[in-house]
Amino acid sequence: MSYYPILKAPGVQGWTTLCNFAPNNWETTRCPTQLMNVTWPSADGWMTKNLGVLAPNAMRTITSNEVADVVPAEAVALLSLTISAPPSQSETLPELDTFRTMVPAWRATLGLSSEVAQASYQGEIDPFPPQGTLLTFGPFMQFGASIENFLILLNIEGSPKRRQSEVEVYNADGMTLMGRFEVRNNAANVIPLDGLGFGVGDLPAFICRGLTGIPLYFSRTTDGAHMSLEHTHPPGSLVVHGRRWEAQKMLKNVWFKRVASCR
Amino acid sequence: MQVSHLERIRRALWTLGQPLTRVPATPGMPVSDLFVWRHSNEWQTSFELIDIPGLFAEGGAGGGRCATIYCFDRSGRCFLQKRFELLPNRRHTVEMAGLVGRDHGEVGTFAVFHSETPAAVTAVGSYLAERGYVSYRYRNAPLRAYVHGNLDAISLGSDAQIELLGARGLFPREYRLQHEMKGVALYELGLVNPTSAEQRCAFQLVSTQTGKILEIQNVDLEPRGAVLIPYQIDESESARVIIKSKLVMARPLVFRIQDNKLGVFHG
Repeated sequence: MSYYPILKAPGVQGWTTLCNFAPNNWETTRCPTQLMNVTWPSADGWMTKNLGVLAPNAMRTITSNEVADVVPAEAVALLSLTISAPPSQSETLPELDTFRTMVPAWRATLGLSSEVAQASYQGEIDPFPPQGTLLTFGPFMQFGASIENFLILLNIEGSPKRRQSEVEVYNADGMTLMGRFEVRNNAANVIPLDGLGFGVGDLPAFICRGLTGIPLYFSRTTDGAHMSLEHTHPPGSLVVHGRRWEAQKMLKNVWFKRVASCR
Repeated sequence: MQVSHLERIRRALWTLGQPLTRVPATPGMPVSDLFVWRHSNEWQTSFELIDIPGLFAEGGAGGGRCATIYCFDRSGRCFLQKRFELLPNRRHTVEMAGLVGRDHGEVGTFAVFHSETPAAVTAVGSYLAERGYVSYRYRNAPLRAYVHGNLDAISLGSDAQIELLGARGLFPREYRLQHEMKGVALYELGLVNPTSAEQRCAFQLVSTQTGKILEIQNVDLEPRGAVLIPYQIDESESARVIIKSKLVMARPLVFRIQDNKLGVFHG
């Protein structure tokens, strides 16, 4: 039941291109016209509005400006494609009546654009469990007088109730705490990474005990002429096959203990 | 949406005995993606080398671990094995230009094998995987564009022989890139062959406006090899790509160049 968020970052516009065709020809053969929807969290629950229909084999780009009249500026806009309409108001994030594929997952293009350049990745997001935690290592920082780096922590959960947590940023070598940042659920949390004291060769480690999400790294030149956007893997992706979730749990235990011993 | 019984049977024809990737033959051996390198006057490639086994070390990582980068040309021939000492809890940005040189073409693949698999990883039946982060710089731009690996494509056997883990299906199948290619831009689609047999791949460029196939390019891809397919998309043009092959998932790496500005992402 994947959603497709419209990303946010300083100085650029977010956009998402929805595709109404499957990513392969064997997991599903149906391709009817689908509804395009936008869903966002509010104090009254998850709100959903229809944005029109998407014909079979069509693609449609929706920008943050296009939903600005509907979705409050501080809320994350979640696009979806569905066969039947989701409820306009819901206490939990609506289950979507739509197609799902695995090899690969049905995705959209999630992008950020300046006046002169763009960066994107193929992505989707499913709700995270509220008890989830985050550990990831981000070797994406780039350095230079005119370069800015951001972490965008993207989270959605089933409940629209707003809650907060804290991301701790460490230098993995020596476990020096470089910064703490408040983050919240159901949001694209933007964390500036410049000025924390990282240098070339440092490996930033990001830890959050109160929520989890997709850690995106966005770098750009200040004139917007060049951009880079990519996410890091969860710890479970450092291994394959077997009981990899146990390996992920073990790795998190190791690093959460390291952090505790450094306090 | 519920999947019907008939649909499950139909899907089984495409999945039974046709996994996305195979489990390495030897327990405890390292696994890697098959990354794409580009090297020319216009292109530079870097890899972020991290001591992954050290991340699992209780009580902090000590030193002494290594990783070996294997470089292959576009035909899949291995022309270099270079060993690196790993820096615990640090990043080491490896400039691939220093490894691939000028004598092996402008594109190829590489794999990164760690010398050690933590006992705790082997104990849960898993394999250490390098699916890390590659960056590309185009025309000496001030910024590199990053993309992550995402396929457990290749492993080492106990005798240090290379084992390709990618699987092929019984029938040709389509990978439909869910991305709108819009002009004016140059797109270059990179594809690697993680299987042990040559693969014929047909790249179809389809007009979004008319649904018509604009062009078809057939390529034969050697094991461990790579290919780059260029598409110049003109102003007001909108297109998408379908890749037909027996690869279970022919997921391309997409380079997008607009006004000398680079974007890169996985399909």
